[in-house]
Amino acid sequence: MSSELDALLSATFHEAGYAHMIELVHQKDAPARRRLAALRVDAYDAGGRRLAVVELDPAQDILDLDALVGDAARAHGRLLVVFDARYDARIFPYRPHHYAYLQRRDAATAPLYYALNATLGGVPDRIGAVALNNFETYLFLDRPLTERYALALGNLSRFATAEAQVITYYDGARHTEDVRLPPKAHAEIALAAARDGARLRRVELKALFRLTSYVVGRRPQGGELVLFDHLFTYFK
Amino acid sequence: MLGRLRSLARRALGVTRAPTYYLPWLTRPGLDCVVLVNNIESRFTSGRDATALDASVTQHDADGRVVAVHRTTLGDSTDAREVRLTPTAAGHGFVTVAAPRIHSDLYVALVDGESYRATHGRHEFVEHYPAWARIALALVGTLLGLAGRTVPAFARDQYVYQGPGGRSHVLILNLANVVNRVRVVATRDGRRVGARLLRLPPLGTALLDVTALAPAAGPLTVDRLRLTGNAWFNLYLVGAGPLDLDGTLSLMHVK
Repeated sequence: MSSELDALLSATFHEAGYAHMIELVHQKDAPARRRLAALRVDAYDAGGRRLAVVELDPAQDILDLDALVGDAARAHGRLLVVFDARYDARIFPYRPHHYAYLQRRDAATAPLYYALNATLGGVPDRIGAVALNNFETYLFLDRPLTERYALALGNLSRFATAEAQVITYYDGARHTEDVRLPPKAHAEIALAAARDGARLRRVELKALFRLTSYVVGRRPQGGELVLFDHLFTYFK
Repeated sequence: MLGRLRSLARRALGVTRAPTYYLPWLTRPGLDCVVLVNNIESRFTSGRDATALDASVTQHDADGRVVAVHRTTLGDSTDAREVRLTPTAAGHGFVTVAAPRIHSDLYVALVDGESYRATHGRHEFVEHYPAWARIALALVGTLLGLAGRTVPAFARDQYVYQGPGGRSHVLILNLANVVNRVRVVATRDGRRVGARLLRLPPLGTALLDVTALAPAAGPLTVDRLRLTGNAWFNLYLVGAGPLDLDGTLSLMHVK
């Protein structure tokens, strides 16, 4: 493998019972040319214990994630799945993108299609940074819906525990929750849909490290995913 | 090389590009579509103290005609306003947003009684062709169309999905004031399984049913679409569940 290759670390979460297809190279417009140089997939349980390591054929188009780690998810619950890709920047001048299709197998609702988080791999964005300097935001609709909201967070750091703040806004009232995640650990932080009669309007995530982060919405009965989306990063 | 050719052709045809922020929209009975206007990003800039931020949302129907112009104002940089889009018979199209002092990605959300799915828009451009270039493209396009072809000025590739529990539709946006003939070719496991030529009116849209293009039976099937058009276009993926377009829907941008 060439030492000139660039690296991309992406991550998502996988739960048992879902069809979950990962497009390893989105918009593969010239199959012979636009392919990754190498790709490794690791899966971790909520405590950060590694359950699977798989070297994949980088020429593969679509990965059936449930076929790969579904057994581990059935045994251990939600998994953090990390994609460590190496690529040639002449082929991908910006970077490759991984997109995904997600739907529970007995779903009554629509499949979800989303862009995987591209993360920095658990290193501070700026050397010497001491403040929380990653800001991510997501806005919610101002109407009562029955879905339950949460932030799914994972720490891709090798050695450092990540400290983060999840700040929710309810028509001006601010609520802060501190989160600590050991390396490769992950959690789903519930977001109350309303507080003191005011509806949830916005969530912010602040962290020293770039975390894996998705906004999650679930049906109240059965917990089926009906929303799985990235936040917007404004400072990094 | 192709990029240079396109640039030369644009100059020869007198095409101009107007910077435009756009989002797709989709309505169905029981399914609301709202644009969430906000200026959250400005909290981290010198624009954080701005007030009275105006936004104008122009809603184009599938045939390109303007259905409505919705206006709203943000009180400050933390404000967010929902603009409910007007349902139409076609039920899809795109909106353009004029908001010179708003510098955030805007969301569009599909809302049913229980939940919603959202995606963001794009700040790109709309192509404007002079009258003579529109006539020339119409003539060439008609001739090529007889053979099921188009002028391959722009191309996009997209994976699509279909299975027993759901499938993809593709919402194709014609971001030009000229008729856009978009040729869609589906391949599966390297084999061509379907092709279709779509005719999108200026600033119009088409909702492509992937199953009608290339039916699949059995488990979840992934097809690869190659789309080529004679003018600038983009696409969004629409996810449909077991009830297809009569059920809940999701909407997602692609790169």
